[in-house]
Amino acid sequence: MTPDSGTATVGDQKTSASAPLLSRSESLSAHDLLEMLRQLYLARYFDVRLIKEKKRGRLRGTLYSSHNQEAILVGSLFGLKPTDWISPIHRDMPAFFLKDLRAGWDNPERMGMSIEEVCGQIWGKASSPGRARDNWSHIGSRTKRIIHSTSMLAGTIPAAAGVVYADRLDGGDAVAVTFNGEGSTAQGIFHEAINFAAVHKLPVITIIENNGWAYGTPTYLGHATPDFADRAKGYGIPGLIADGQNVFDVYDKVMSCVDHARNGGGPSIIECKTFRAYGHGDHDDDRAAKYRPQEEVERGRSRDPIAVAKDILVDKGILARSEADRYSPEGKTAGEVTDEDFPPEVVEFMKRGIEHALKAPMPEAEEAAMWVYREGS
Amino acid sequence: MSSVAAPPSTKKNYLTAIKEALDEEMSLNPDMICQGEDIGLLGGAFGVTEGLLAKYGRERVIDMPISEGAIVGTAVGMALAGKTVMAEMQFIDFISTGFDQIVNMLATYHYRTAGEVNMPVVIRGPAGAYGGGALYHSQMNEAWFANSPGLKIICPSTPYDAKGMTKAALRDGNPVLIYEIKELYRKREIEEELPEGDYTVPLGQAAVRREGSDLTFVSYGQNVYHCLQAADRLAEDGVEAEVIDIRSLVPLDEETILRSIAKTSRVVVVNEAPMTCGFAGEIIARIADIGFEYLDAPPVRVTRLDTPVPWVKPLETYVLPSVEKIVEAGQRVVRF
Repeated sequence: MTPDSGTATVGDQKTSASAPLLSRSESLSAHDLLEMLRQLYLARYFDVRLIKEKKRGRLRGTLYSSHNQEAILVGSLFGLKPTDWISPIHRDMPAFFLKDLRAGWDNPERMGMSIEEVCGQIWGKASSPGRARDNWSHIGSRTKRIIHSTSMLAGTIPAAAGVVYADRLDGGDAVAVTFNGEGSTAQGIFHEAINFAAVHKLPVITIIENNGWAYGTPTYLGHATPDFADRAKGYGIPGLIADGQNVFDVYDKVMSCVDHARNGGGPSIIECKTFRAYGHGDHDDDRAAKYRPQEEVERGRSRDPIAVAKDILVDKGILARSEADRYSPEGKTAGEVTDEDFPPEVVEFMKRGIEHALKAPMPEAEEAAMWVYREGS
Repeated sequence: MSSVAAPPSTKKNYLTAIKEALDEEMSLNPDMICQGEDIGLLGGAFGVTEGLLAKYGRERVIDMPISEGAIVGTAVGMALAGKTVMAEMQFIDFISTGFDQIVNMLATYHYRTAGEVNMPVVIRGPAGAYGGGALYHSQMNEAWFANSPGLKIICPSTPYDAKGMTKAALRDGNPVLIYEIKELYRKREIEEELPEGDYTVPLGQAAVRREGSDLTFVSYGQNVYHCLQAADRLAEDGVEAEVIDIRSLVPLDEETILRSIAKTSRVVVVNEAPMTCGFAGEIIARIADIGFEYLDAPPVRVTRLDTPVPWVKPLETYVLPSVEKIVEAGQRVVRF
């Protein structure tokens, strides 16, 4: 694959994270490229705002921060069709509203969740898509084509294979993009599902967010390979490595795989190299500061995806440096940023979700015993 | 040898009944998919799916890799996208490797989505001991799943029920596990005429297989036949046993069980699963909760010993319920 090949194709070779590759995003308009940056701000603000809300005691449950990994979500979701399926897990909470966000942040018809629904879920209210029956990221929507996850990692990859199998049978062209941590690749179901998808050439794109840590276990204690994209070879499918800090590189790799899948080429694996900014969850932040060497944390967080995107856009002449520096949350922790570090529409979007969630009612207690079985069966 | 050929029997065995159910439902429901190991080209390890591939094609009849997790997990995805799926376990013993997908994805999907998503997935497979199948081809592991809300569990014992309940399960809209008794698949003695055309047997209704006034045997699967034989033996001594075939474990028809116990005041529950936390214990607990005042004797269960199912005949026989053990239990509760 060469940087100037125009439309990148997925071959059987893997591409390294250092390869400069902007081929697919080259064809995006300036408006779209700037929108991707805006979505990075949005994903970051969502995360830091929740951390602040939690510290203020307004929120129950555990936060699994996506801080420093937003480029993977934005880059993967940006080029999808509304009819494509996605399967996010715990660290991908912004994915629920980022899906089909290009159709308009306030468009109620878009095939992604509204910020009200997502905040309704986080605050445990009846307006949650799952009526707050399971916590955090364990929501989804059949109509908006978001697969509902469980806590059993890699457990939704077979469901992703199943939905696109059915979709293809019905004449659809949907792809399914699943998000997974590198730790989950050790699960048997990861292998079972991708093997099946490969046999049937199903359009399943498995994103591996390799952030170096599976809860408290470093990658080298769980896996003998440094490159998870290598696992693809065993299934006879393409395995790519993307720079998980570079939203445009993620976009390029994902869209290459999407094209490959829509053309009947089958599944692929994309490993996005990144770094987990905080602990596994916010309950773990203090301990994570001890089990992870400080210099590793600093190195891992040194390439903030917002800064990386800005630099590329400035280099391309799409964004003036002065404009780029107007809002600068990059490199700052949740405790350090303020609303002034974000574009006002980003703050406003999140504010709407929180205001909704604070006012929304809790589900009725009796609902706890409902919907175990289908009504009337 | 007689030179006069007997008129051809129109009776059907248990396996044929299931085969007909699958064929008819595939034909009625274009959104139905069958998948499992060796179910297409081979027609299934026991032949239950013979002919389906030729008739419905490889897109709807899928030969799966040896991946029970993927068999169940992809069925979940297909159901999410609107399909009805029959997922075969080659032996019900192998269901353990698909366990997580069943109890955490499939069973909870409707609940987690507050009713948005239905899971019309039927997992069926050959189950049960008495055939020398040893540890991994003899299990009755239904209790694992009875402890997972969201799943229905049935265990038909006759060809009529096997067909009617399989069809009902495929139309139910909930995940249903079917424990098919492989020792009954081709058992001549239980062959029977099946109705022409479409019929279903509702899930959650027990059947009274023999009426009696002195004690009640509650059972399911092939143990129902052991209970019937035990009842015949007891009748020789003037003891009349009622035999209830629950057919469906979840939901359980408590009413039919209670009605019988109100009459007989004595109960023996028989199943071939291990005793501890087995479904026989659950049935007895329900009786204790809601029917204690009817009882004139402590309820008794006859189950497999708390052992795996061993291979060779003397060992296997030793651990399983038998007609003799059931007769002895019946005598014990009557004498109490």
